[in-house]
Amino acid sequence: MILTGKEIQKEVEKGRIIIDPFNIEDVETNSYDFHIDSTLYTYKKDILDPTEENPLEEIKIPASGLILSPKKIYIGKTKEVIGSDYFVPIIKGRSSTGRLGIFVNITADLIDLGSIQRPTLTIHVVTPVKIYPNTKIGQVTFWVAK
Amino acid sequence: MILTAKEISKEVKKGNITIDPFDEKCLKPNSYIYHLSPNLIQVLDVGDKRKKAKTKELLIKERGLILEPNKLYLGTTVEEIGSKKFVTSLIGRNSIAKLGMFLQITADLGQLGKAHRWTLEIKVVQRLRIYPNMEIGQVTFWVPKGDIDIQGTEFYAKQNEPYPSQLYNEKGK
Repeated sequence: MILTGKEIQKEVEKGRIIIDPFNIEDVETNSYDFHIDSTLYTYKKDILDPTEENPLEEIKIPASGLILSPKKIYIGKTKEVIGSDYFVPIIKGRSSTGRLGIFVNITADLIDLGSIQRPTLTIHVVTPVKIYPNTKIGQVTFWVAK
Repeated sequence: MILTAKEISKEVKKGNITIDPFDEKCLKPNSYIYHLSPNLIQVLDVGDKRKKAKTKELLIKERGLILEPNKLYLGTTVEEIGSKKFVTSLIGRNSIAKLGMFLQITADLGQLGKAHRWTLEIKVVQRLRIYPNMEIGQVTFWVPKGDIDIQGTEFYAKQNEPYPSQLYNEKGK
């Protein structure tokens, strides 16, 4: 079962869902829109290896925007702290970012119960796209656990 | 409704969920971590969905195998996974996603039915070395609503090797 926007808002007020900062205008019918933090990371190495350290390089998204390349993985975070001990959060792109060919998460959309932090975004673009700081880039849904 | 780790463990013991081999250590708060089998195939030609795709068999050796961007690979889980009672969804692990691996290309939803080793659709954004039996993804279990008819899923559920798309074989193509 997925929570509606009204239910998300109620649970935020009860403290059973954390979204901080919380803005009523970002509540959608059955999800909540989150924003991208302006710090992104890319990899320095050519061949990545899960058994080794893969050093990162920091990039800031300037006010004038940053063009993302389809050849790279960008690791970012949401501006909001998001999580819950009661409902399982799942993050998605927004349809308006999806239509620009922006993946906000690479396959791993599920957040553990009890993990209350700024969720990691694994950003990948299909064609070069310019993004700006503070863009409303994705949405989080909340699911009832058994 | 999504099952928590305790509930997954309970249902495995009751036999309502199959995860074989099963290891309590692989339970996460609301999912189970599965592993990558060493047998992989690369899909060489998917130019036409009406034709059978050409494929090449690859073996992931202990020293690893480098996956290349712009290529499509199919693998399987080490574990036989399935349930006739709870709907499975397979996704990649966050730590592997951060390295740019798509695991399941949009089709993360499983069908209710017999347990088998699931085919994994794999694509990487940058070159990535992978290893046999690595912890590669997580599976979640969802409570469905409605009557269950599992007859339609018997076909794919028999496949235990990386299994290419059978879209070319479907009626109404």
